[in-house]
Amino acid sequence: MALRLSERRQAIVFAAVLIAAIAGLYGTTQLLQPAPVQASIVHLVQLEVVGYGWSIQYGPLTTDNNTAFGLLLEASAKLAFPVAYVWYQIPQGVFVTAINGSVNGEGRYWLYQVDGVYPNIAADHRALHDDDVVRWSFSTAQDGM
Amino acid sequence: MRRTWRAVLEAGLGDARTRILGVFLIVVAVVGTVLMRSYANIETVFAASLLAGSLLGRWWTILVPLTALAVLQPLEWSTTYAGYGLNAMTGITFFVVSGYAFVGFLGRRIRPRVLFRVKSVALLATISVPVTIAYDLWTAFGEWYFITRPFGVGIVTILEAQVPFTLYHLLSSLIFVPLFGSIFLWLHAYGWPARAPAAPSKSPDRE
Repeated sequence: MALRLSERRQAIVFAAVLIAAIAGLYGTTQLLQPAPVQASIVHLVQLEVVGYGWSIQYGPLTTDNNTAFGLLLEASAKLAFPVAYVWYQIPQGVFVTAINGSVNGEGRYWLYQVDGVYPNIAADHRALHDDDVVRWSFSTAQDGM
Repeated sequence: MRRTWRAVLEAGLGDARTRILGVFLIVVAVVGTVLMRSYANIETVFAASLLAGSLLGRWWTILVPLTALAVLQPLEWSTTYAGYGLNAMTGITFFVVSGYAFVGFLGRRIRPRVLFRVKSVALLATISVPVTIAYDLWTAFGEWYFITRPFGVGIVTILEAQVPFTLYHLLSSLIFVPLFGSIFLWLHAYGWPARAPAAPSKSPDRE
């Protein structure tokens, strides 16, 4: 004998299953969020921004902007060059779209490296340590990754 | 001749109620997605496309995703992703448009079973899960082919990177498909007077 639920009971069961599924998914997405970077003072970090036919160097003795993106913004403010970016709330992270007037596209995109390595997280979640070298380059496909 | 065109239009767009719901779905798709732009993959075009196919059928199956994307895609390419090459823009747009068109057509396949019942909303919500995954696989392939492949990035890396985005997309589908599904099923069954009176809870008039 098949169990036949009333429309109201079906609605309650469906709502319960749906809420559990949404809560489970939301919990998983939160677990996958990158950990926030704790603010700290770092020493002798260097920034190099390499565009198409131009470059910018910046090397503060100390800074409390201890992320790859924070250092870029600090240089942008100190040396007066524009940076455009999109900030995503989920997944948390910035996406840099233009530096000093050079906009992503036509086969060139802004990529960053820390000590010669391409990190696999957004630049505002990549913590810097003393003596780190951050390089933002307007890379082409030929440059590889 | 004029009458023929009118008949074709009426057959394609349906009665007044269907047209109002169709336009309403386009508005939901555009406004919802624009409002949630800072939340990656949380969007309403998917739910609107699925409902357009399953609830309204006719030309709305393709009109809803195409019209919404005709507004949203130029907006995206001129703001968030401004500066991308024509090749990348055309390629990615093809994958996005064909992906949502697929969602609409898939919705249309299940339309005879769609009634204003808990079972119908549950069916739409359940179907939205594999369809969301299929859509994300399709568009991830497009993104890999047109944007990251030239950088030497493998498809496996892109699919791994896609996982959190697909989880957000599933979250979006599980919220918006039942939400708008319930609203639109109710509106379709009771909300507006149809030309011919339709009995509540019965399969709505369709082509």
